[in-house]
Amino acid sequence: MILNAAFYLFSGLAALATLLMIFQRDPVKAAMLMLAALLSTAGIYLVLSAQLLAALQIILYAGAIMTLFIVALTATPAAWRDKPGRGSFMKVLGLAAASVILMELLKVSTALKAITVSPEFSETGTLDLASALFGRFAFQFELLSLVILAAIVAAVALTAKRRTAQ
Amino acid sequence: MSAYALASAAFLLFSLAAAGFLTCGSLVRMLMFLELMLNAANIALVALGPETVSQAYAVMLFAIAAAEAGIGLALIITLASVFRTLEAENIKELKG
Repeated sequence: MILNAAFYLFSGLAALATLLMIFQRDPVKAAMLMLAALLSTAGIYLVLSAQLLAALQIILYAGAIMTLFIVALTATPAAWRDKPGRGSFMKVLGLAAASVILMELLKVSTALKAITVSPEFSETGTLDLASALFGRFAFQFELLSLVILAAIVAAVALTAKRRTAQ
Repeated sequence: MSAYALASAAFLLFSLAAAGFLTCGSLVRMLMFLELMLNAANIALVALGPETVSQAYAVMLFAIAAAEAGIGLALIITLASVFRTLEAENIKELKG
C-alpha cells in the first residue's frame, strides 16, 4: 500500500518537474527542474526494488550528466541562448501533440489492465543483477565499454578540432 | 496496482518530455528532454519487464545515455561556436 502511494507520489513529482521545465525560461532553473525529475525517477526505482539502479540514477544522471549540462550552459555565452520573447502558444500546441501521443500509447497498452503487479521490497535484486551482467550478458556488457570508448574519442576529436580551427 | 498504472506513469513522463522536445528552441534543452525521454523508457523497462533481465538492460541504457549526452554536448558546442547561436531555428545552412 505504502509502496503504491510512493510510486504515484514520485511519478507525480517527476511529471510536475518536467511540465514546469517546459515553461521555465531560465536555462539553469530548467536544469534544476530536470534534476528534480531525475531524483524522483531514482525514487521510482527504489519503489520497484531496483536499489542499484536508483544509486546509478543518482550518480550517473543526477551527478555526471547534469554536471555536463550545467557546464555546457555556463560555458556558452548568454547571447547564444534562447530568446526571451518566445510565445507560449507553441508550447501549448506541443503539449496537445504530446497528449495525442499519450492517448495512443495508453490505447495500445489496454491489454496490460488485466495484469496485476504488487511491488514488494526485495533485497536480493542487486546480487541477481550482478550475476546476470557478468554471466548471461557479459558480452553485451563488454561491448558497452567499446561504445563508451568511441564516445570519449568522438567528444575529444570534436573539441580538439574546434581548438585547432580557432 | 495494475501493470497499466505502471505503464501509464512512464508514458506520461515520455509524452511530457516529447512535448518539451518539440517546443523548445535551444539545442541544449532539446538534448535535456531527449535524456528525459530515455529516462521514461527506462522506467517502463524496469517496471514491466522480468526483474533481472530488465534491470540489466536498464544498466546498459544508462551507459548509452551517458555516451549520448557526452557526444551530443560536444556536437552542440562545436555547432554553437560555428554559428554563434544555440537556437535550432538559426542553424539553417549546411555549409558552415
